[in-house]
Amino acid sequence: MREPTPEQRIFGLMAEFNRPERLIEAVRRTREAGFERVDAHSPFPIEGLAEELGFHDQRVPWFTLLGAIVGAGLGYLMQVYTNHAFPIDIGNRPLVTPAAFMLITFELMVLGAVLFSIISMLGFNHLPRLNHPLFDVDSFRLASTDKFFLVVLSNDPKFDQRHTRAFLHSLDPVRVDQVSQTEEPE
Amino acid sequence: MEREQAGPPSFNRRSLLQAMAASLALAAANGRRAEADERALPYVNAPEYVVPGKPKWYATSVRFAGYLQPVLGKSIAGRPVKLEGNDQHPATGGATDLFMQAALLGLYDPDRSQVPLHLGQPATWAAFDTDVFRRTAEIDRTQGQGFRLLTGAVSSPTLLRQIGDMQKRWPGMRWHVTEPINEDERLEATGRVFGRPLQMLPDFSAPAAIVSLDDDFLGPGPRQAMQARAWSKRQPRIFMAEPTPSATGTRAGERLIVPSARVQMLAQAIALGVGVTGVAAADLTAPEKKWVDDAVGALGAGNGLVTLGALYDPALHALVLLINERLGSFGKALRFTDPILAAPPDGKDSLAVLVDDMKAGRVTTLLILEAEPLQATPAALDFRTALEKVAFSVHGGLYADATANACHWHLPLQHELESWTDGRAPDGTAAIVQPLIRPFLNVRSSHVVLDRWLGGTASDHDLVQASWHTGWQEALLAGFVADSAPAAVTPTVRDRTVPLPQVPSSDGLVVEVRPDATQWDGRYVHNSWLQETPKPLIQATWGNVILVSPALARERRMENGDELSLRFGNRELLGAAWIMPGQEPHTLTIGVPDSFGFLDSWRQPGVRLEKTGKTRVIASTQPMQDMGEFDYVRTVESGEEAAAHPKDDVSFYPPRKWDSPSWGMSIDLDRCIGCNACSVACMAENNVPVVGAELVAHGRQMHWLRIDHYTHGEANAPRHHFQPVPCMQCEQAPCEMGCPVNAAVHSPDGLNLQVYNRCIGTRTCSAYCPYKVRRFNWFEYTGQDPDSIRAMRNPDVTVRSRGVMEKCTYCIQRISGARIAAKIAGRPIQDGEVVTACQQACPTQAIVFGDITDPNSAVSKRKASPRNYSLLEEANTRPRTTYLARVRK
Amino acid sequence: MSDIAPSARDFRRVTDEIVDISLHYPDRRAWWMCFIPALLLLLSFIVSVTVLFWYGVGMWGNNIPMGWALAISNYIFFLGIGHAGTLISALLLLLAQHWRNSLNRFAEAMTLFAVICGSLYPLVHLGRPWLFYWMAPYPNTMTVWPQFKSPLTWDFFAVLTYLIVSILFWYIGIVPDLASARDRATRRRYQVFFGLFALGWRGSARHWARWRQSYRLTAAIAVPLVVSVHSEISMLLAAGPINGWNSTVFPPYFVAGAAFSGFAVVSMIAVVLRHALGLRDLVTPRHLDLLAKLTLLCGLMTAYGYWAETFDTLYGSDPQELETMRDRLVGVYAWSYWGAVFCNFVPLQLLWWYRVRINPVLLFLISLSCVLGMWMERYMLLVTTLYRDWLVSSWQRYHPSIWDWSLFAGVLGVFFTLFLLFVRFLPLISAFEIKEAMFEEKERGEGTGHA
Repeated sequence: MREPTPEQRIFGLMAEFNRPERLIEAVRRTREAGFERVDAHSPFPIEGLAEELGFHDQRVPWFTLLGAIVGAGLGYLMQVYTNHAFPIDIGNRPLVTPAAFMLITFELMVLGAVLFSIISMLGFNHLPRLNHPLFDVDSFRLASTDKFFLVVLSNDPKFDQRHTRAFLHSLDPVRVDQVSQTEEPE
Repeated sequence: MEREQAGPPSFNRRSLLQAMAASLALAAANGRRAEADERALPYVNAPEYVVPGKPKWYATSVRFAGYLQPVLGKSIAGRPVKLEGNDQHPATGGATDLFMQAALLGLYDPDRSQVPLHLGQPATWAAFDTDVFRRTAEIDRTQGQGFRLLTGAVSSPTLLRQIGDMQKRWPGMRWHVTEPINEDERLEATGRVFGRPLQMLPDFSAPAAIVSLDDDFLGPGPRQAMQARAWSKRQPRIFMAEPTPSATGTRAGERLIVPSARVQMLAQAIALGVGVTGVAAADLTAPEKKWVDDAVGALGAGNGLVTLGALYDPALHALVLLINERLGSFGKALRFTDPILAAPPDGKDSLAVLVDDMKAGRVTTLLILEAEPLQATPAALDFRTALEKVAFSVHGGLYADATANACHWHLPLQHELESWTDGRAPDGTAAIVQPLIRPFLNVRSSHVVLDRWLGGTASDHDLVQASWHTGWQEALLAGFVADSAPAAVTPTVRDRTVPLPQVPSSDGLVVEVRPDATQWDGRYVHNSWLQETPKPLIQATWGNVILVSPALARERRMENGDELSLRFGNRELLGAAWIMPGQEPHTLTIGVPDSFGFLDSWRQPGVRLEKTGKTRVIASTQPMQDMGEFDYVRTVESGEEAAAHPKDDVSFYPPRKWDSPSWGMSIDLDRCIGCNACSVACMAENNVPVVGAELVAHGRQMHWLRIDHYTHGEANAPRHHFQPVPCMQCEQAPCEMGCPVNAAVHSPDGLNLQVYNRCIGTRTCSAYCPYKVRRFNWFEYTGQDPDSIRAMRNPDVTVRSRGVMEKCTYCIQRISGARIAAKIAGRPIQDGEVVTACQQACPTQAIVFGDITDPNSAVSKRKASPRNYSLLEEANTRPRTTYLARVRK
Repeated sequence: MSDIAPSARDFRRVTDEIVDISLHYPDRRAWWMCFIPALLLLLSFIVSVTVLFWYGVGMWGNNIPMGWALAISNYIFFLGIGHAGTLISALLLLLAQHWRNSLNRFAEAMTLFAVICGSLYPLVHLGRPWLFYWMAPYPNTMTVWPQFKSPLTWDFFAVLTYLIVSILFWYIGIVPDLASARDRATRRRYQVFFGLFALGWRGSARHWARWRQSYRLTAAIAVPLVVSVHSEISMLLAAGPINGWNSTVFPPYFVAGAAFSGFAVVSMIAVVLRHALGLRDLVTPRHLDLLAKLTLLCGLMTAYGYWAETFDTLYGSDPQELETMRDRLVGVYAWSYWGAVFCNFVPLQLLWWYRVRINPVLLFLISLSCVLGMWMERYMLLVTTLYRDWLVSSWQRYHPSIWDWSLFAGVLGVFFTLFLLFVRFLPLISAFEIKEAMFEEKERGEGTGHA
């Protein structure tokens, strides 16, 4: 989801909730109201919340599968290649033995799958990103403890400072905060 | 003289070799630093006929107990690196024993005495010469009265000539001999029976049956190579009666375990059985009677030989001579010649007379050459006290040990491998000993010492050459003087009386003294190869043990390693117990070196035994020797019976066609006498390090080829087996599969290779090897070796560093050499062109090596025998090293 | 209902309890009293390895036939212990066993450190340890590659994979809690430390979604990984022709044994931590109960392995194998066999009773016995097999040298040092997963979670 450019002084508006159910309901209503550039923040993953936000990204699982194939393939081919590159008689065993090669193939499949999985996850999440406008809001500290936040970004087509703020208040949050842009314009 | 050279010899070559060897000059009294090998090699002006890396072979001999043992010395870049048997020699035909193989280390031993010592302080030869000059003036005055010469046994014509010269100049001088393990009893017996002492030369290839009364003729000694080779030709049946197991006893079809005191009765019974008259009846137990009956039956079939151990009463030897006469073995299985070793004036009392004279103060000057009377004479003689009474005592030897320290002067002598000398082999054939290297220490030859004593200035070469007027070159090329053995004597019996002594009634324990299988009489205490070689039936290294029977051990609750105290009179011997299956119940066996401080004779009844309560660590290479139910060494009833178990030769993999040559080895277990010549030869050939007693006790010995000893059957009368175990070179090697870095791999010619520079030391190969033939360098064993040891190393074999696995390679350096030679000549490798070090060394030709894809090769013929089987067949490793099962005789 | 105590069922309370330990460690003195000895043991490690590298492998008690001995048995022991952490983290996650949330963080940390400790051994036991990298396939001037049919090469890849996967799995699992610590830290040092390693985690729902995909997939892959790694480690022994090792029951037997020893260690850690850091409401008697049940289950599976081996040997009647078995039961090292049997399986039987399972002291002691028993079993497997193998002439005694033991103590020092640092500075229970579970249970309790 693209974020507002540095030119926009306001990054977005943030509503804080006490209970996860409230956040879920708020997200639904916000989406029903037509907002698209919406994000929700919680201390723990909430099942179904991402779908409510319109998130249907399956790239991480696909990359995991790709990693598994790459890993297994590299593993097996490496063993076949090295045995052909410098063929040595080892105990009169066949030069290429699928049975003996399977374990390294499996391990590299696992390694490939996990590396691709985690790196793609971090990559698609654009992490690490140590600085983010949300961190400037003092109350956001509690996002990792027990508070739940809904953020509407300022580059949403339906964003309007006053109307959106009113809308958020209508969701009955603990508070509504403005999130300022922290990046300097070029 | 170099064997392969055609054309007239040129002694310029000797001086060229001098130049090469001189660069190896090691530290001398003036403190010159030893120069490393590497600086010796690159020649600016290369000597003639020397191709760097190509060895030259010289026929020479090494000396053991006065006899010469013929060897071919392999010399690389001017220094000997291996000794092999001289295959043309009439006595040995190429056989060697472990002492011959280990003699190489004696030359390079860093412990060798390097400078003359005067009262324990380093001195110079010049100072000694001056002192002797003064002394000889004194001796001249007294016409030699008070001047004595003490040597070991002597067969050297040159030395005898020089002694004769001394006696001519000083008629009062007397020559004495001390050789603890000798044949004096046999000589006395022949003297009595035939009127003059004669050398007995049994031919063990001739008879169909041999009855041995405690004669370990296949066991260690100067005659082992000759006698074992002879016996191996037809392997006649052996009947053995002995109190303690021996190598010969392991080959015996019927082995009777009796105390040595019973041997006389057995001899009497056999004499009666074959029809010798005038012999008292023997009173035998049932097993003894059965054994005698079987033995006499075998002898009665004609063509038999009875032999008695050397260290028995001369009267008993006389009886045995009469038995052999009756059997008709004179001139066939038993030949006689004039004595080969020269007899000193006082004969077998030579040492006793000397000590008497010394104690009485009649000896003012004593010259000891190559004898160690303080270490190798019975304590009762008290040589030390006697020596203190001598005004001027000189000791000459290879090491500065106790005797050297007790004398006024110690002279470092030359080793045979760097000397000109001469002597006779055990069959009497004379030989000239030529040096393989110029001395690199400040040493002199015994001949030169005597010559200087007489005021001469000749070199050892000239002194020896003066003894030989013809055939010098031929002798040097062949390694022996042709037809120089003394003529066979056909003796007639003069005296048939056999005054047999009263057999002492023996209750209580008897101590039997036996030569130490790797130390002989203790003279090899400095030779680390011999120290680390396990004694065949015991497998102990670095020291000897006290053998006790299983019955006695049970009775006194003894275990291996318990410290025992043996007491006789007011003397005590402490030693570790070793339970020897097959030992006579009331007999204890100790080695000759241990006996000197304890006993005066070769067997001693009435000894008291106690456990001290302590335990000693025995540095054993094989703590467990009971074969139990396993079938490592198989025995078949006849040569036709199949030893291998029929099995489905099933494998997942298609059968493999190997290209020629593909190497294999066959070891005949009937021939192996456990002498360890192969093991020491392998150490010499392959630069195998020595690790010391502590590490051997820990299980870290490095022998690539080991001789396993197994007992099989009930502990009181088991069968003993020897099994040489080199690398099996398995076709389906588990070690290769285990190595993660491709350091254990298989070669196209069937060898299992160990790539030292790739090995990272995971030791998986060792864990997977069912035979445990692989040895690991747990520490840095070779990096700190002194220069002389580095000079000794075979340059064709990698020296391994710490952290690397090593094992038998089927002498791949020899295979490689043969392959290169064959390639250059454009021909295939011939059968017999590659001889592994162990194969060459074996006196009984138990090991055969060659191309298994060639059905006509010697090894293929051996493997085609029904007796052929693999060790641990069920492990399915398909080893290339296979065994021929023993045949029950 | 939820496995955690009612008093804790509050998001803030949970976070306070856990994260504040990292930020303001409650009992520093107790921690230092544990950490100093751990550092001393670590010193023993450094000294032992230095001596070993200086002089050579000969400083240990190995010989021929005991090319492998204490070093390899400890290697298998440490690596085996690690597997339980992965099983708790991964397998129980996939089985939606929420109670695992109180345990998985420190169990997975235990895995990580056990694997690190274990993998020190294959490096130091080499004859030429400076060439350890030759087991890795890389193009080189010798044009030689590792030998891929060797179990040791398999081991290199398996343990490397396991180490990397464990680190990554554990790390992405801890990031949200690091974010929590970052947000609550007051001192600059801690803010920087946690801030760096939290990667800027914001708890965005989209991030959570991807995170969950990756986390669950990694968990799903980690379970067969565990089985494969310890099966492969058993192949180190089983792939050779040595009697007592060459048995097809080894892979499952080893995996069961590894899980067994691992669960016992996790039980011990759980008991200690909940007592030392007052976490009784998060690590409740129910957790102890379940851990004890898992320990019992895996112990019984391991016992099956013993039985299968014995049965196979007797049924097969191979003389060499019978001799090895006989020697294990009555030979010189019979203490290791019977010690293993007793320590593993006898006190274990007490865990059939609920009151024993939830008693922390008893659980600790029983688990300790199981750990000791498993150590003895690994020792027994290595030593009794090699010291008397095929040929009687190879039979030789073995005892570890002082440097063997000092290295063992040192490796324990590595483990405790790392673990104590973890306990002190990192959130040692997965706070966010507890909160997640609390929410999900509440949702289920109140009908389907739809707003």
